[in-house]
Amino acid sequence: MKLAHRHTLQAWLFLAPALLLLAAFSFWPVGYGSVLAFTDYSLIRETRFVGLDNFRYIFNNEMFVSGLKNSLMFLLMVPFVQVGAITLAVLVNNRLPGIRLFRAAFYVPVVTTVSVVGIMWGFMFHEQGALNYVMMTLRLVNAPVGWLSNDSLALFAVMFVTLWRGLGWYMVMYLAALQSIPSDMQEAAMLDGASRWQRFWKITVPMLRPTIMLCSILSVLAALKAYQEVDVLTQGGPMNSTFTALYYAYDQGLKHLKLPRALAASFIVSLFCIGIALLCLRYLKPKHR
Amino acid sequence: MTIKRLLAVVACAGLLAPQAWAVEKIEFWTFSMKPKFTPYFNAVVARYEAQNPDVKIEWIDFPWDVIQTKLVTRIVAGTPPALVSLNVPWADEYARDGLLTPVDALLGEARASYIPSALADLRFKGRTYGFPMYSNVAVIAFNTAIFKQAGLTRGPASLDEQLAFARQIAQRTGKAGIAPALSKIDGLFMQQGLAVITDNRAVFNSPQHVALVQKLADTYKVGGLLKESLFAEDNFPAVIDAYKGGRLGMLLAPPTAMQRIRGDAKDIYAITDVAPAPLGPTGIADGGWLVHFAIPKGVPVRLLPSVGKFARFLTNDDNQLAFARQASVFPTTVRAAADPFFLATPQNAGAAEKAVAAGAMSMNHSRTLYVAGIDDYDELRRSLVKAVEAGVTGKQDVKQALDQAVAIWNRKLATLPRH
Repeated sequence: MKLAHRHTLQAWLFLAPALLLLAAFSFWPVGYGSVLAFTDYSLIRETRFVGLDNFRYIFNNEMFVSGLKNSLMFLLMVPFVQVGAITLAVLVNNRLPGIRLFRAAFYVPVVTTVSVVGIMWGFMFHEQGALNYVMMTLRLVNAPVGWLSNDSLALFAVMFVTLWRGLGWYMVMYLAALQSIPSDMQEAAMLDGASRWQRFWKITVPMLRPTIMLCSILSVLAALKAYQEVDVLTQGGPMNSTFTALYYAYDQGLKHLKLPRALAASFIVSLFCIGIALLCLRYLKPKHR
Repeated sequence: MTIKRLLAVVACAGLLAPQAWAVEKIEFWTFSMKPKFTPYFNAVVARYEAQNPDVKIEWIDFPWDVIQTKLVTRIVAGTPPALVSLNVPWADEYARDGLLTPVDALLGEARASYIPSALADLRFKGRTYGFPMYSNVAVIAFNTAIFKQAGLTRGPASLDEQLAFARQIAQRTGKAGIAPALSKIDGLFMQQGLAVITDNRAVFNSPQHVALVQKLADTYKVGGLLKESLFAEDNFPAVIDAYKGGRLGMLLAPPTAMQRIRGDAKDIYAITDVAPAPLGPTGIADGGWLVHFAIPKGVPVRLLPSVGKFARFLTNDDNQLAFARQASVFPTTVRAAADPFFLATPQNAGAAEKAVAAGAMSMNHSRTLYVAGIDDYDELRRSLVKAVEAGVTGKQDVKQALDQAVAIWNRKLATLPRH
C-alpha cells in the first residue's frame, strides 16, 4: 500500500511540469475565457457580469447563426477525410517502388503553412486559374466557374481545401496503425484461405478502430474549428457564405476587439466540440480490447 | 589626491545629473513604415533632437493590424505613446471612447497651415483630434489599347460615364471595364451625395440608391465589372493583378499603384494613361484616406506642449513634402500640396508622374468617407454589402435586398445610443 502510494506520488511529480504548463496556457485561459463570456469585458471599461446577454446577442446575429450552420456543414467532410485517409494509408502501406515519395507527397500539405496553401488554392480556384483552364480545355464547362466568387460553391471549395490539408495527417496516423498490426494475424488468415477483402474487413478495420475513433474526433474538432482557410481564401464571402462560427469569433475578438462576443461564440463552438466528441466516443469506441 | 579627484568627478556628475533627468522622452508610433521609410524617420528624429537637445525621441513602428491592440493595451496600462499614427475611422472610434486627447490648443497657429478638408476629417463632436500627416486620393488609370478597341478616347468624367465606359469595354472587347470596391459601397453612396443614415435611421433604400445599385447590376450583367473579389473587404490585390494582366480597362487607385504597374508590368505601363477620378455631385474625390498623428489619453499634461511641438514638426510643410515625395502620397499642408512636384507634369511624363499630377488636382476635394459614431458599424456595413452583392449579381431584386438591409440596420440603430 505504501509502495503504491509512493508510485502515485512519483507519477504526479513527473506529471507536474507538464500539468503546470497546461494549467497556465490551456486550463486557465479556457476557464477565464469562459467566465468572461458572461461579462461585458473591455480593456477600457470596468467589467460587469451580464449573464447570457452575449449569447442572446450572438444567437440573434445573422452572421454567427449562419456561421454556425457553415461550421456544421464542415462536418460533412469528416467521413470523406477518414475514408480517404484510410484508403491512402492502405495504398501507401504496400511495398512498391517509389512509395516513400508518394507518402511524402501526401504529407506535404500538412506541413505547408495555411497562407501558402491559401495563395496556391487561390490561384487554382481563380476564374482565370488552373482548375477552370483544365475544365474548359476538357470541355467540362463552357464558362469559367466562380469557385470562390459563387456563394453556392465557395463553402465547398473552402471545405475541399481543408480536406486536402488534413488528409495527409490522418493518412500518417492510419499508416502507423496499419504497420503496428501484427503480420502473423494476416498470415494466419491467409493460411485459412481468407481473401484480401475479408482480411481487410475482419482484421484490418477492427484493429484500426481505436485510430478511427481518435482520427474521427480530431477531424470533427478540426471541422468545427475551421477558420484559417476561410481567412486566407474568402474572408467569409461571398455574401457571408463561408463565414464559420470560429471565423466570427476571430472577426469579433481580434479584428473588432469585442472580446465577450468572441468568447461567447468560442464557448458555443466548444460545447459543440465536446458534444460531438462524446458522441464519437460512444459510438466509435472499440467494444472489445 | 586620487580620492579628491574621485570626489570631484562624483560632485560634477551630481551637478550634471538633474540636467540628464530633465531630458523629455517622446515616443511616437507609426504603422507599416519600416523598412521602406526607416531612413526618412531616422533623419526626422535626428533633426528634431539636434534642434531640441532636451528632447529624446523614440520611434516605434508596428504592422497596421496590431497597432490598435497595442495602443489600447498601453493606454489601459497608463503608459501610452506620446503620439500615434491613426486613420480617421480609428480616430473616430477612439475619440468616442475617450481614448484620445483633443489637440485644438496644441495646433495653435499651425492650424492655418493644414488643408481645411484634412482638419475637417479629424473633427469629432466639435474638437480636433489629430495633426494631419498625409492623405491619398484615387486617379483613373486606363489601358489605352483596350480603350482604343472599345472606341473610347478619354477618361470618364462621372460615375455614370465610368459605368457606361465599362459596359462598352465589355461589349466590344469581352474584358471587364472597371472594378469598384463595392465592400465600401457606403462611401460610394456618400460620395454620390446619397445619405446612408438620416436621423438615426438607415435610408439607403431610396429610389436614388436603388437606381445607383441597379446601374452597377446592369454593368455587372454585361461583364463590365471585374468579378474577382468584387465584394471582398480588400479587392485591391485582385484588381491590380487584373489590370497588370491586361484584363481590366480602368483602374481606380491611388497614384502609388502606377509604380507597381511600372515595376511588374512594363508593357501595360507603357500603354497606360491617367485621368483624375471624377468628383461626385458632392465635389468629393474618391479614395480619400487621411493618416494623422493623434495624442492618446493618459499622456502627462506637462508633456503636452512638447508633444504638440514635435507633432507640428513631424507634420510641417518640409517634412510632409519630403515624405509625400518618397511615398507617392499627398501632403496635407497647403504649402506642401502646392509644390510644383505635385502639380507640374514633366514633358516626358509616364503614367506614374501623370497620376501624381492628377491626384494633386483632386487633393483639395479629398475626404475620408465613412459613417461615423456607430458601434458595430462593420457588422452593419457587412449586411449592406451583402444586400448590394445580392442585387448586383442578380440574386435578388435590388429594392428588395436594400429594404431588407435597411430593416436590419434600423433594428440595430434603434438599440444604439446616439453619439
